[in-house]
Amino acid sequence: MVRKRRLKKLFSKIVGESRCWIEEEVCASYSYDAYPEKPVLPDIVVMPTHTEQIGEIIDLCNRLEIPLTVRGSGTNLSGGTVPVKGGCVMLTTALNRILEINKDDMYARVEPGVITQNLANAVEREGLLYPPDPASMKVSTIGGNVAENSGGLRALKYGVTDRYVMQVKFYDAFSNLVKSGGIPVKLVTGFNLKGLMISSEGLLGVISEVMLKLVPPPQARKTMLVFFDDVLDASRVVSEIIINRILPATLEIMDNFTIKTVEKFHHIGLPTDKGALLLIEVDGHPAAVEDEYVQVEKICRKYGGDVHIAKKQEDRDKLWQARRDTLSSLAMLKPTLILEDATVPRSRVPDMIKVIQDVAKKYNLLIGTFGHAGDGNLHPTILTDRRDEEEMKRVSEAIDEIFERTLDLGGTLSGEHGVGIAKKKYMEKEVGRGTLLFYERLKKGLDPKGIFNPGKVI
Amino acid sequence: MSKKLKRIVDELKELESLTLQCMKCGVCQSVCPLYQKDFFEPSVARGKISLIEALYQGRIESVPGVIKYLDYCILCGRCKRFCPSSVNIDEIFVRAKGILREIDELPFYQKALLKSLIESADFLTNFQPVISVGMKLVSKSAGESGLRTVKFPIKKSVAPVSPKSFNAIFGGLNRAESEKMRVIFYPGCAISYIFVEWGEAVVGVLNHFGVSVYVPEKNRCCGIPAATMGEIDMYKKMAKLNHDWFSSIDDAEYVITACPTCGYGLFDLGVRVAGLESSKKHMDIMVFLKEILNVKLNKKTKGRSTLHIPCHYEHEYDKTLIGELSELNGEFEPLENQSCCGFGGTFSLKHSGDSKEVGAAKMDEVKSKGFEKLYSPCPGCVMQLSELALDRGVDVKVEHPVMDFYRLIKEGGA
Ligand SMILES: Cc1cc2nc3c(=O)[nH]c(=O)nc-3n(C[C@H](O)[C@H](O)[C@H](O)COP(=O)(O)OP(=O)(O)OC[C@H]3O[C@@H](n4cnc5c(N)ncnc54)[C@H](O)[C@@H]3O)c2cc1C
Ligand code: SF4
Ligand code: SF4
Repeated sequence: MVRKRRLKKLFSKIVGESRCWIEEEVCASYSYDAYPEKPVLPDIVVMPTHTEQIGEIIDLCNRLEIPLTVRGSGTNLSGGTVPVKGGCVMLTTALNRILEINKDDMYARVEPGVITQNLANAVEREGLLYPPDPASMKVSTIGGNVAENSGGLRALKYGVTDRYVMQVKFYDAFSNLVKSGGIPVKLVTGFNLKGLMISSEGLLGVISEVMLKLVPPPQARKTMLVFFDDVLDASRVVSEIIINRILPATLEIMDNFTIKTVEKFHHIGLPTDKGALLLIEVDGHPAAVEDEYVQVEKICRKYGGDVHIAKKQEDRDKLWQARRDTLSSLAMLKPTLILEDATVPRSRVPDMIKVIQDVAKKYNLLIGTFGHAGDGNLHPTILTDRRDEEEMKRVSEAIDEIFERTLDLGGTLSGEHGVGIAKKKYMEKEVGRGTLLFYERLKKGLDPKGIFNPGKVI
Repeated sequence: MSKKLKRIVDELKELESLTLQCMKCGVCQSVCPLYQKDFFEPSVARGKISLIEALYQGRIESVPGVIKYLDYCILCGRCKRFCPSSVNIDEIFVRAKGILREIDELPFYQKALLKSLIESADFLTNFQPVISVGMKLVSKSAGESGLRTVKFPIKKSVAPVSPKSFNAIFGGLNRAESEKMRVIFYPGCAISYIFVEWGEAVVGVLNHFGVSVYVPEKNRCCGIPAATMGEIDMYKKMAKLNHDWFSSIDDAEYVITACPTCGYGLFDLGVRVAGLESSKKHMDIMVFLKEILNVKLNKKTKGRSTLHIPCHYEHEYDKTLIGELSELNGEFEPLENQSCCGFGGTFSLKHSGDSKEVGAAKMDEVKSKGFEKLYSPCPGCVMQLSELALDRGVDVKVEHPVMDFYRLIKEGGA
């Protein structure tokens, strides 16, 4: 306690007494995130209100040699914000100003704690679009999106966060302000350090400002919901759409188990005997949209798809409803939900579906599968009860097997949720020893005392 | 850990099956009016649920620390409404508070106040004239809105207590001339003692359409204030007493309320927490007018009006209410800001500053758009919004829409 009070005194000098906490009930509120991992309490929680304070906080942590874990909204699904070695949790939530929206050069400049949805809304009011739309965008922060390189439902056509990052400013472990990137579309002066910050998961520096590219919104779009008897047919449609050089903005899949669960809780009239559904949305120039739609429809019918299209905005909302209700329906089935995001090359989606089916059977588990089929990014969602030790053991074995077979298919452990603590132990298998050593040396050079988010990724 | 603490922890474990349903997704952050203001995890449901878990899993020991943040909650129910996991958040909060309070007893003044206010139905009925006079003595008139600033116990403008309670005037069966059906109207404390004229409007409108109305001879609190203070047994008792009275009336199918929080306390949370089974259907007065009586007005009110939808309103009827008000007023337009007004009953007393901060943006919208009338079908919201209007110098009349229905009907508008 004496030590904690001393900490409070020191940090208070930077952020003020009312913006730092050592009380256990506050520390306990920052001991977890959206990944079901054992909570660990930090020693102190600080909430800077100006980005300059970030540098001072880092400097203090460095002098005290205590760990520093940066936290946005704490919605990451890999334990990235659990302060496993205690120390200081720094919140970016009060650094939430949108600094500029520039319509001429089409960019936005924001502080790291801006909520993704708030940015998207502000940009829309200016007649532009910020495309990355993670399902958590009403809650997640831009800093978190960059540090996890988050993707969204439009990723197939529009790409994920990294495609939109024009510039990053961050504080390094020596509390220097570093800047990389800028407004010019072409810019090759120096190392691509903004690239280094993308997916850095709080290990290499603290992002204090991000400049993001904006695009003109599509003029037209067409939405369809297609039902298939067999989930494998649905996944073949996914591959064939892409082979035909069509890039829908959205191409989402849901398996029979997921359809049934959504229907059970939300009664929206889904056919529960169908093997799978695809939610497809094409957007762009009106003529191109029409043309692509005709082709997509043809492919769907070839595999026996039952196609429903949205004529009006309300119809579109209805078609999207099933997808929006997915996670909540699955969550209601059992107390514990484990959402995975193993990702394979899109041509291997049918194989991946097969893998998940096999694993569910072999380990006798409830697994719902849905996700961004067009990106090869599926979300096998395991429904269980963390109080049931025997079942949790099977869950853990099932996850190991899913990962193993994902890698065999040329895939990756994580398409969008990051490594954090969740996937640390599998890393060597995916990237190899040499790569891990490179990470370690990079980390050691940039953060010799290892204060930034220890215990994660490497 | 002390023995005493051990007992609470054991009791809290019973809550485990409820808290376990929370997957810590954080979605509640985006709808919680307190989180939107503080950006601070203990303000929001995810944080509060985690604290309860931390307590029963032994990571922390400070009971008052947890109570502090459980109390710092408007109980607006927005987190529950938007929670993808359908976690029974309100039930978790009130049950947890109940258990925690067992040890960390209520401060004496709160207990005394609560007891006198709600447990004996006779208290306010008998002592009301005295209180009314007393309140006039300690308050100074604030503006012309009929609100008064009470200096004691906490500086807070409240509507003056009416010298005669609604129940004293309307208690019993109020017969309609050509009777079509009978209903029960449950007024709740605010309409019984403060917004008496709303009660009169409800009875008047229903009578006009051939509906006879049972009104309780004495008001019994719905129990929500007890629940928010963690007095869970008292809450259950109040809910049960009210339901017993409802059941004792055979020839009425519906219980009508004009306070969504009473409706929620008696028919939603009350039924879940007290394990009651209701013998009657519950309906908000505005919904009843539209859905059951299919009331059509042939006159409209003048001036620009808007609406604040109370957090505890049954949201499946939001559209019904908006439709009704569009028929009532030609220049009606709902508020863009859909957030909470910040009232939360006892919350606004304990956390007066935070409470006002939450609602302030709404009043700014009313001001900038120049609305002359702000409808809200809830006494709590009306008190809060009236006070905010007063504070921020906004010239708007805030009241329950049933008042204008009644006025139009009296002018022959239906
Ligand atoms: C219901 C739900 C749906 C989701 N859907 C998606 C989805 O569709 N796509 C997707 O990609 N993800 C999704 N996620 C995961 C998560 O929302 C994203 O990873 C998001 O980007 C995290 O943002 P955050 O603000 O919550 O970051 P946090 O969880 O607070 O932090 C995430 C990581 O970033 C680091 N960090 C945060 N801010 C900074 C900073 N300023 N500087 C340096 N490092 C920083 C942290 O240290 C941590 O390692 C979902 C999560 C949930 C709960
Ligand atoms: S929205 Fe529901 S499940 Fe998600 S964190 Fe909040 S309470 Fe838990
Ligand atoms: S009830 Fe309202 S104030 Fe309380 S946690 Fe939920 S959303 Fe926030």
